[in-house]
Amino acid sequence: MPDRFLAVEEARISFGEGDARVRALRGVSATFERGTLSLVMGPSGSGKTTLLSLLGCLLSPDEGTVFVDGVAVNELSASEKTVLRRKKISFVFQAFRLLHSLSAIDNVALGLEIRDGRRADQIVMARELLLQFGLGDKLNREPSGLSPGEKQRVAIARALAGNPPILLADEPTASLDAEAGRSICQILRSQVDKNGRTVVVVSHDPRWKEFADRTITLSDGQIKPQAQGQHA
Amino acid sequence: MKLAWQNIFHDRSRFLATVLGVSFAVFLIVFQGSLLVGFLQAASRFINASDFDIWITARGVQAFEFGATLEAREREMAAGVPGVVETGRACMAFAVYRKPNGKQQVVALVGADSNLGKRFPVPELAETTESRSPDAILYDASDRSLIEVASLPAEVEINGHRANIEHEIEGFGGFLGVPSLFTSYRNAARYLGVGPDDGMYVLLRVGKEYSVSDVQRNLRQRLPEVDVLTREEFAHKSRMYWVIKTGAGSAILTAAVLGFLIGLVVVSQTIYANTMENIEEYATLKALGASRVFVARIVLIQSLICGAAGSILGLLAVVPAMHYARSLIPWIHTPWWLPLIMVVLSLLMCSLASIASVRSALTVDPGRVFRA
Repeated sequence: MPDRFLAVEEARISFGEGDARVRALRGVSATFERGTLSLVMGPSGSGKTTLLSLLGCLLSPDEGTVFVDGVAVNELSASEKTVLRRKKISFVFQAFRLLHSLSAIDNVALGLEIRDGRRADQIVMARELLLQFGLGDKLNREPSGLSPGEKQRVAIARALAGNPPILLADEPTASLDAEAGRSICQILRSQVDKNGRTVVVVSHDPRWKEFADRTITLSDGQIKPQAQGQHA
Repeated sequence: MKLAWQNIFHDRSRFLATVLGVSFAVFLIVFQGSLLVGFLQAASRFINASDFDIWITARGVQAFEFGATLEAREREMAAGVPGVVETGRACMAFAVYRKPNGKQQVVALVGADSNLGKRFPVPELAETTESRSPDAILYDASDRSLIEVASLPAEVEINGHRANIEHEIEGFGGFLGVPSLFTSYRNAARYLGVGPDDGMYVLLRVGKEYSVSDVQRNLRQRLPEVDVLTREEFAHKSRMYWVIKTGAGSAILTAAVLGFLIGLVVVSQTIYANTMENIEEYATLKALGASRVFVARIVLIQSLICGAAGSILGLLAVVPAMHYARSLIPWIHTPWWLPLIMVVLSLLMCSLASIASVRSALTVDPGRVFRA
């Protein structure tokens, strides 16, 4: 019995109607093992982000099955998916997606509030997370006052608030310079090594290869056969 | 809900625009509502000013301002009906008023017996310390510029009869566009050429031990040629006549309804736009696992904050505007309950608008978070 902690089986999904119909995924099967960092690569339009959306319970496949924490999410209602996402999954986005009106610490605290409800110590916990990422002097800065690298570190801190076991990252280094990008790669790798999280990164950035346990390459909605020595 | 507050105060210009939108709606509705309420009150002011329970009018009279003569026997017959303990008379008709400077002006002449009630504008007031002759003429302060008397008393002419304007009163400014003059019934009848014993309106006071509706039924049987209405019925009839059957009244009613609808649309649009400004953030919250209740609460709190701030600002703007408007439109009236209702209503409108807009926030595709 394969580990279905995080997996897709024969997932197919299309968007649009008639001539405008786009088959984003054409029977994709992949398993993402616990405590690994998987890199999903491929050209634009290959279906990388669609795959990430399926894994994050943001989309449902037309056919096939998605497993999160061993649960087939296709059979869950929208609210059950929301609960599953809240408890198990966290996201890091290319565009950071920080709430512009909140300070760095409040953004992280909000992540905690969403996952664990309102807690008296959520500001203390948010502070600790930001300190871990070297943002102790930027706690009360709004996102507009942070550099792109700092924004992404705040976004990662928010994603880790509440300790979700799965982290899905969509082009997390695309908006960053080389140094900031490398820092983000190291942070996410350390989440695998130190905290045993399962991380899936969608990226064009080849730097990720040295941090990934495995690489999946998508092409035209299908997983490209691996070169010898690699496994999907 | 720190996020709700922070979202509002972070972008102050947008918050200001939202609050201004709501306050404009509140101002518009209160102002138009005051026009309508004032108009309705003015349309039945004389009827409501009397203490009597029943009004007898000529058949088909629609409003106090358009009465017709009743014969003396109608009053005598009414006085004989069991339960009727007191009668009084009132009349109103247009007359030609010659000012001290010789210019002429059409006026609404209102005459009434002195027993009609403390609030009815008649020269003889039992409680007053002022010396008023029974035949004195009174006018409302809002008509001062049209009456054009330099000092009081002033000798003038009404329908060719000599008359004395002796006092200025307040609270009886009309919407007819002509000034009103008030005098005793006897005096008014003389100016208007009505027989001294005839009446235009016969008012009846019903004894406390009798039912007004029973007496009214009895009167209708005995006086089939006239209309017998309770004070409330005649006031309602008069209000409906003015607001439905006259162009001015219909315009005010339409303006009030439109004001309400426009206010509703402005509030809805403003709150909706405010929600849509943050739609990307709601998508992010949903992607992070926020429940529908969590997102809805943020939208609702934001809407209520904007609604409360907009209501306060709108009501603050209404105060000086109404003060100024009253100098131009004496009958405009803002009852104490109108601003109160408006605050509740605006919060309700904001809540409803937020429910409409929250749908967008709740149905937003969380998958859009991946679109850079």
